[in-house]
Amino acid sequence: MKKFENFVHLILEQPSKKKLVIILTALAFFGSLMMFPTQLVLAKMLPGKSDNTFSVYIDTPSGSSVQQTDKVSQCVIGMLQQEKEVKNLELFLGQGIPLDYAGLVKGAGMKQSENVAEISVNLTDKHHRDEPSFLMVQRLRPIVKERCEQIVAGSAIKFIEQPAGPPTMASIVLEVHGDDLDEVRKISLKAANILAKTDGLVDVDIMADEIYKKYELVPDKEKIARSGMSVDQVNNIIYLAFEGMVIAHKNSKDAINQIPIFLILDAKTKELESNKFEVLRSKLASLNLMNEKGMMVPMSEVVTIREADSKPMIMHKDLSRMVNVIAETDMVSQLYPLLDARTKITEEFAGEYSVTKEPGMNTYMFDLHLQNLKTGKKYLLRWDGEMKVSLDTFRDLGGAFIAALILIFLLLVVYYKSFALSGIILLGSFLSLIGVILGHWVANLFTDETFFLTATSLIGFIALMGISSRNSLLLIDFAKSLMVEHGLEKRRAIAIAAATRAKPILLTAVAIILGSALLASDPIFGGLGVALISGTVAAVFVSLLFIPVLMDNAKAMDFEPVADPEHENISITR
Amino acid sequence: MNEYQIKDYAGKLAKGFLRNPLTAVLGAFLLIVGYLALEIMPREEDPQIAISGGAIIVPMPGASPSEIENIVIDPLERKLREIKGIEHIYGMAMDNVAIVNVMYYIGENREDSNLKLYDKVMQNVDVMPKGVMQPIVKPFDIDIDIPIMTIAFYPKGESNITEVELLTKVQRLQHKINGIESVAKTTIRGSHKAQYNIEVDLGKLSAYNLSLGQIMKAVQSVAVDVPDVKGRTGSNQLVIFGVENAIESVGDVGNLIVAQYMDSPVYLKDVAKVTEGIDIQNFQDAFVSQREEGDAAKMGASVKQITMSIAKLAGTNAVFVAEDVLEVLKENDAQLTEAGIGYLVTRNYGERANEAVNELMSHLVITIIIIAVMLVFALGWKESLIVTFTVPAILAITLFIAYLSGQTINRITLFAFLLSLGLLVDAAIIVIENIHRHLHSHGVDDRTMDELLIEATDEIGAPTNIATLAIILTMVPMAFVGGMMGSFMKPIPYNVPVALLASLVIAYIFTPYLSRKLLKKPEHHHGHSADGADDIAKEGEQK
Repeated sequence: MKKFENFVHLILEQPSKKKLVIILTALAFFGSLMMFPTQLVLAKMLPGKSDNTFSVYIDTPSGSSVQQTDKVSQCVIGMLQQEKEVKNLELFLGQGIPLDYAGLVKGAGMKQSENVAEISVNLTDKHHRDEPSFLMVQRLRPIVKERCEQIVAGSAIKFIEQPAGPPTMASIVLEVHGDDLDEVRKISLKAANILAKTDGLVDVDIMADEIYKKYELVPDKEKIARSGMSVDQVNNIIYLAFEGMVIAHKNSKDAINQIPIFLILDAKTKELESNKFEVLRSKLASLNLMNEKGMMVPMSEVVTIREADSKPMIMHKDLSRMVNVIAETDMVSQLYPLLDARTKITEEFAGEYSVTKEPGMNTYMFDLHLQNLKTGKKYLLRWDGEMKVSLDTFRDLGGAFIAALILIFLLLVVYYKSFALSGIILLGSFLSLIGVILGHWVANLFTDETFFLTATSLIGFIALMGISSRNSLLLIDFAKSLMVEHGLEKRRAIAIAAATRAKPILLTAVAIILGSALLASDPIFGGLGVALISGTVAAVFVSLLFIPVLMDNAKAMDFEPVADPEHENISITR
Repeated sequence: MNEYQIKDYAGKLAKGFLRNPLTAVLGAFLLIVGYLALEIMPREEDPQIAISGGAIIVPMPGASPSEIENIVIDPLERKLREIKGIEHIYGMAMDNVAIVNVMYYIGENREDSNLKLYDKVMQNVDVMPKGVMQPIVKPFDIDIDIPIMTIAFYPKGESNITEVELLTKVQRLQHKINGIESVAKTTIRGSHKAQYNIEVDLGKLSAYNLSLGQIMKAVQSVAVDVPDVKGRTGSNQLVIFGVENAIESVGDVGNLIVAQYMDSPVYLKDVAKVTEGIDIQNFQDAFVSQREEGDAAKMGASVKQITMSIAKLAGTNAVFVAEDVLEVLKENDAQLTEAGIGYLVTRNYGERANEAVNELMSHLVITIIIIAVMLVFALGWKESLIVTFTVPAILAITLFIAYLSGQTINRITLFAFLLSLGLLVDAAIIVIENIHRHLHSHGVDDRTMDELLIEATDEIGAPTNIATLAIILTMVPMAFVGGMMGSFMKPIPYNVPVALLASLVIAYIFTPYLSRKLLKKPEHHHGHSADGADDIAKEGEQK
């Protein structure tokens, strides 16, 4: 302790050494900040968490039958059954699995058509399993997709993990807004291709119905009227014949439910040999309608068959037409693939469209505006999904951080009645950022997967500010009381204060480090743990070496014994 | 020496409780209250996020997407814009139906939002275009919509139970489970209902010169239920007679006469296959596949199943609900086995919440022990014991306050505790360190223990208060972070400040109190100056 006191005193006595401390600190600070643009430390809102469950969404192209969907699903199930860690799995055909957090915003609850299926997979307990669920998904995804998606051309198989934080529709959502539906489809298709080629993006899908061939039966109103029937009757019979209808109910004493009576053509007779025009026509010819007079009229006489394209669903968001292109990230942050894809989109669309970026800084800052060079029609590519939530969160947390800074500053000014001293404490607490960033870099070196700077790291950093300002506070208070009550010379008082306070500072630091050690291994709160540990280490150095130097330089620290000290607003830099 | 003048609340608290017999009672009371809160508080894995929103479904049979867009979606979306608090409106124009999804800003009051949505739609029913059916407003309700448990029921091994029987059994069980306290909504998925199927042979139909319409009318004309009829006798007595339903079994349906052909009746069974079966038009199916018992290497084949999902009421304990449901299942176990039904719990959030909470609780305990051991080396075992006692006391207060304010124990709450753990021992460490330093400094012999303790506590009071206040201030703005993430981590800004305030009060009250009980003034203070702190102080005084 005596040694440390002399060490601090030595630094304070020599201006060159004081300068060295300041320069070193500044270097460390800017050096660590540089780790963001150089991508040594990567940022992500929340990392993946290992769970005991994940689900697989299967979408065959619109217009596919439930049997086709089943075929794809069986392929996926067959492959999942080979996995040792799969405890049980459930397939839900034509519907979603019982709603969970992931499905909540992905619209799983709305699924109700023949071309969808969902599989829910339960794994063995994560504590007894070597492979975390996110690695398992990463490993299975390419092989399952390769083998099963080709069974029905155009199928999409998506692996859905439980979100670590709040659920979002997808990691990356690209909304293509525009009034011209056909061109919006074209743009989204092109964008989807670019996304699919971007490293780190998987499960790319366009959230729009495929356009498929269908036949339209057009009732011939005149013929129908002249044969003594109604259009309504014709429509009903067609529906009745091929889809069937519940035509009556029967109440039953022993059954819980009413028993419906369902009328339909039997499977053999309604089966069409092929999807050819003539086949449908001859089938309709054998379907008879009875008119008012009791005469039979073949269906084919009163309707004309026309080939047509199916009409896809039209999506709106906030009153503007759009198509969603979604993509999931494969164990990487969304930010970097998004920026890659955005650059590529800007390049590839440049020929046909004039591409402009969203002006100004806001959470839509990655948006692109397209204008067709020929027609002048405008389109908007808007990024949404987890990316948007991340940006919003980081913005809000940044705001919270600045608010915290201001609040602490005001509190300190009230307490010390000096801007300079409050500034010193604030600056000191800000420097713990060095430790936070360096800590993430080190943690990344020692882990197999990428260790991201996450939202929880930011929370840790905000908490750290409080902790390091506490250190500086106690230091200044102690030095002040030594000078005022014991009349010590300024540098000696600072050195003694640093040495005396070193023990509680170290003790509380060790308490925080040990307290956070278990957090660091947690997938979600790991960022917070690492931020607290490394930030505290940095905070100790800052409060014991850097803060004393600043205190010495600050005229506001010139306390006279007992007499009322003067307060001046002096810049702390020399 | 002069009597020490108390300057801060720290000293006042220390003095007030130092010799108070109720201090020990207070300590015990806090611990008990905290333990009770820990046991009673609802547990869940993730904190509740108030997501409000809903879907408006407007069916319009026969309309194409662009028609629906023009006459339903566009006007409806414009009307919905009039509601305050809506963040996004998603419109979907499909064949025959329009769906508009509405998302409110996170944190909007759910009941109000639902009401506003319903109100707006109903106000404008009169301007709905013709041919549109009654719009359906379905609000999202996370508590009710996200089931905490799902159970798959499937026919066991060689059992030849039909799908309808399976459904009947499961529905009877569903009724029992719905009776459990705090169970909200139960739904059944993948089920097939009993149905009489009339599958008409097109060839025979034309052979008898019949149309589908005739068959439909023939069935509908007899499938009617007639209530009992009252007749009166001359003396005004009632004679009651009931008409038996024409259709009592599937055979009755087959024996319907649909037409006369060449003077002989044509029965429905002549032209159609009439069976008692399941709803064949329902393409939704569910399957389950699991590891066979005793054979961990092989997965069993997929079997048809019915999944029952169970949701709980908001604010109730998922752990308890799940336990109660399992209890009911156990009671009915024999009955189910007898009927040839096996079941598998495929989701249990109650268990998961309990595990997550227990895991974090054990982390918390381990961390406390580690810190205690560290303090033994740094300060001595008595001092360490004092600091270690303050931790559960602080957590107890925080938990109890969280319970009173209607929060739940979830991952984020516990994470807030872990985060504050490093911070909340600080106050106690600073106080005990200062007591330690004072006890080992010069001139302690002529002062009483009480005076020393109060002075040591009071001395660091002001800076500690300010420093703790500073940390609390860093946490407060976090409460105003918006969006999903903001409400996801709300437990942090709610609980950490409470824990920190509690840590101050506990440190000022119990650290001196326990120090008086456990610590003694050193007899030979020179020998105890291990760390040299007193040397510095001494030096400082001499200069």
